[in-house]
Amino acid sequence: MTIDKRSSQVGGSAGDSPPTPGGRDGSATGRGPGSAIEFRLDAASGVPTYLQLVHQVEHALRLGYLKVGDQLPKVRDVVASLAINPNTVLKAYRELETKGLANGRPGQGTFIQATLNQVALPELTALHRSLLRWLTAADEAGLDEDGIVALFTSALRDFYEHRSGSRTRGGAASGETEDVA
Amino acid sequence: MTALAVPARPVQDASLRPVPWRRMAWVTWRQHRFALTGVATLLGVLAVCLWIVGLQLHHAYAAALACHRSGSIACEGLIGNFNGMNKVLSNGSVLQAVPALIGAFVGAPVLARELETGTFRFAWTQGFGRWRWTLAKLVALAVVVVAAAGALSVLISWYYQPYFAAGNETLSLSEVSPFAAGLFDLRGVALAAWTLAAFAIGALAGTLIRRVVPAIIVTLAVYAGLALAAGIFLRKHYLTPLVTSKLNLPETAWITSQWGTKGGKFAFAGRAPINLLEQFCPPSAVGPGKPSEATFARCLGHHGYTLWTSYQPASRFWPFQWIEGGWLLALSLLLIATTVLLVHRRGT
Amino acid sequence: MNVVEASGLGKRYGGTWALRECSLAIPAGHVVALVGPNGAGKSTLLNLAVGLAAPSAGAVTVLDGRPPGSPDALDGIAFVAQDTPLYKNLSAADMLHLTRNLNRRFDQASAEARLGELGIPLKQKAGKMSGGQQAQLALTLALARRPRLLVLDEPMAMLDPLARHDFMAAVLTAAAEDGVSVLLSSHVLAELERVADYLVLMSRGRVQVAGEVDDLLASHRILTGPAAEASKCADRPVVYVRRAEVQAHLLVRATADDPIPPGWEAHPVGLEELALAYLREPGAAALPGPARGRDAEPSEVTK
Repeated sequence: MTIDKRSSQVGGSAGDSPPTPGGRDGSATGRGPGSAIEFRLDAASGVPTYLQLVHQVEHALRLGYLKVGDQLPKVRDVVASLAINPNTVLKAYRELETKGLANGRPGQGTFIQATLNQVALPELTALHRSLLRWLTAADEAGLDEDGIVALFTSALRDFYEHRSGSRTRGGAASGETEDVA
Repeated sequence: MTALAVPARPVQDASLRPVPWRRMAWVTWRQHRFALTGVATLLGVLAVCLWIVGLQLHHAYAAALACHRSGSIACEGLIGNFNGMNKVLSNGSVLQAVPALIGAFVGAPVLARELETGTFRFAWTQGFGRWRWTLAKLVALAVVVVAAAGALSVLISWYYQPYFAAGNETLSLSEVSPFAAGLFDLRGVALAAWTLAAFAIGALAGTLIRRVVPAIIVTLAVYAGLALAAGIFLRKHYLTPLVTSKLNLPETAWITSQWGTKGGKFAFAGRAPINLLEQFCPPSAVGPGKPSEATFARCLGHHGYTLWTSYQPASRFWPFQWIEGGWLLALSLLLIATTVLLVHRRGT
Repeated sequence: MNVVEASGLGKRYGGTWALRECSLAIPAGHVVALVGPNGAGKSTLLNLAVGLAAPSAGAVTVLDGRPPGSPDALDGIAFVAQDTPLYKNLSAADMLHLTRNLNRRFDQASAEARLGELGIPLKQKAGKMSGGQQAQLALTLALARRPRLLVLDEPMAMLDPLARHDFMAAVLTAAAEDGVSVLLSSHVLAELERVADYLVLMSRGRVQVAGEVDDLLASHRILTGPAAEASKCADRPVVYVRRAEVQAHLLVRATADDPIPPGWEAHPVGLEELALAYLREPGAAALPGPARGRDAEPSEVTK
């Protein structure tokens, strides 16, 4: 799995708390009873567009912005706001369907049907803090930023290889790409 | 192979009829209203001027006529007044420019402006189709332009009517041949036909040259050349001229050539040469005073010479109008058809 | 259904061939990017497809076999030429009226609504609009005709980034909602990368690459390894080689499943890198079906 240097954010809401499910203020363009989240695109990140959309949905699920039954943004709306190819959006939604996270209802849209293991916010905070301690140690050992990233990437690879035991050639699972180191 | 995700728009069962021709009426008007209003203004101003000046002319003519019947000497003044009026218009010179201007400024920009500004890339990719677009525009504009010219020529004919009235010569009032070079193509159907020809020349020039200003210039030049050639060389041959040896032809006749024979053999072309006249008709033989043509002719006749004149009588005015109108119409149709064909066939 | 099919298509202007031996089969339902440097023949190809030019060699058909100038083709294709030609002294309302008169289908209501959303007053003369507004007006007119294929010739050359974004958003929304196929040309690949799902790459009057973007990216790899062993990879079709003293990068035609020689790394390639490599290698081609130049020896670039 790639580590983006910048973490992908889920934008859309003016406030910091996740909005209530199914309700989002109608935006200025009047998208009506729209979806809970809105996508953003980082054109320079090197990650394929459809993957960025998939990751943003997964991230929103983890953080609770999206719940089961919520509708994902309509293809037309995503295209109109991001100016990307509609097939890209459809590909992302198909990927989510393959992963079992979403479900497309013909004529109505795409809806969340399952959730990822949600990590509660306190756990996330604890993990974040322990990671910072590890980073401090690595920094004191003399690793620079790129060295840390390379070390972490190879450790991550080893972890998942060890865990699944059948991956080939490091990280080439469906939907994931290798970053040029 | 990625499956088609967004289904392509299926074949529409839109009406299979082509877009109706009448839609081009608004299009033509909206795109050419500047040129058309210019033409209308020009013709309107001309018409008003002609009307005012023409009324004066008609009054002078009526006065001169009435005066003559009453037989007083003061009539000389009135006759002189009529004869001297509007010398500029009397040979029609200024009005000759009207068909040329209309043709150049209405006809040339139709295609030249589209090609020059690149808007043909819009117009010719619409559903109407490019050759139909061209044909509709050209026909619509041609009809308007010809109708306007026709109306003007009616007014012009009214203006010149006193000059062509019968019996003017006996009253020493100016009389002009209807075939006079500057007048023939202003009256009858000729003005409308020449306007149509100028328009057609403009349209084709615009298509070939693709720039508005050069196309206008070329149109004016080609039109001028054609009009001169027709007037000088072509017109006299529409019908075989009559030949006579009579000497006093009416002034309305159009004399195309003269020559003399002696004893059946050709002696000289044109008028009698000076040496012959000096030889046979010295002032002593013809008498005092300035001798007239007739005197010379009689004198030469005594010596065996016959003077021949070939001419077109005034009665042939309308046949000539139809002939000229006919070939101009054919030429215009040919030019317009060529324009449409070029538009249809040519990739740019 | 193929929106554009060409076989051996060529166009000559005077003595120069602007387009040569062009064979394409562009499927419907895609946003097709026609990319190449200036003078590559993109405008020529588009002019041939919409019927503004006639071929000097070969043939082209559109919308499933129709000849380009035919009434059905004119009806189903909307073209916005370079520099968006509009009648400068006509107002937006007049342009709507004009376009409605010249076409069988015209959605006046949606066109007016769109102009309203964009803030273009109907009474404004086209010549007085900004470049972005003119482009949006031309696009509105084209979309209101409800075409099956929208052809755009370098539509964004004159637009600032915001106008470009809005323009492409409008085009893509039409593709998403109405299934309009889009064929647009540009000499800047970067702005088309996230927009196109089918690529046609042209250079010097010939088509070098034609295919779906996903397929192209999946079938190419960058192999990085020791320069001395660069010839070891010759069993795969090599498109382009960049060689330094010790290290070399090869762009090869291989998929993710192809084995890599030991000591070499494989990376996926991005669209811009792929396009640049092909443009630098005029003999190489990636065309569906039999293609020339696939086995051509690539030249090598040494630093």
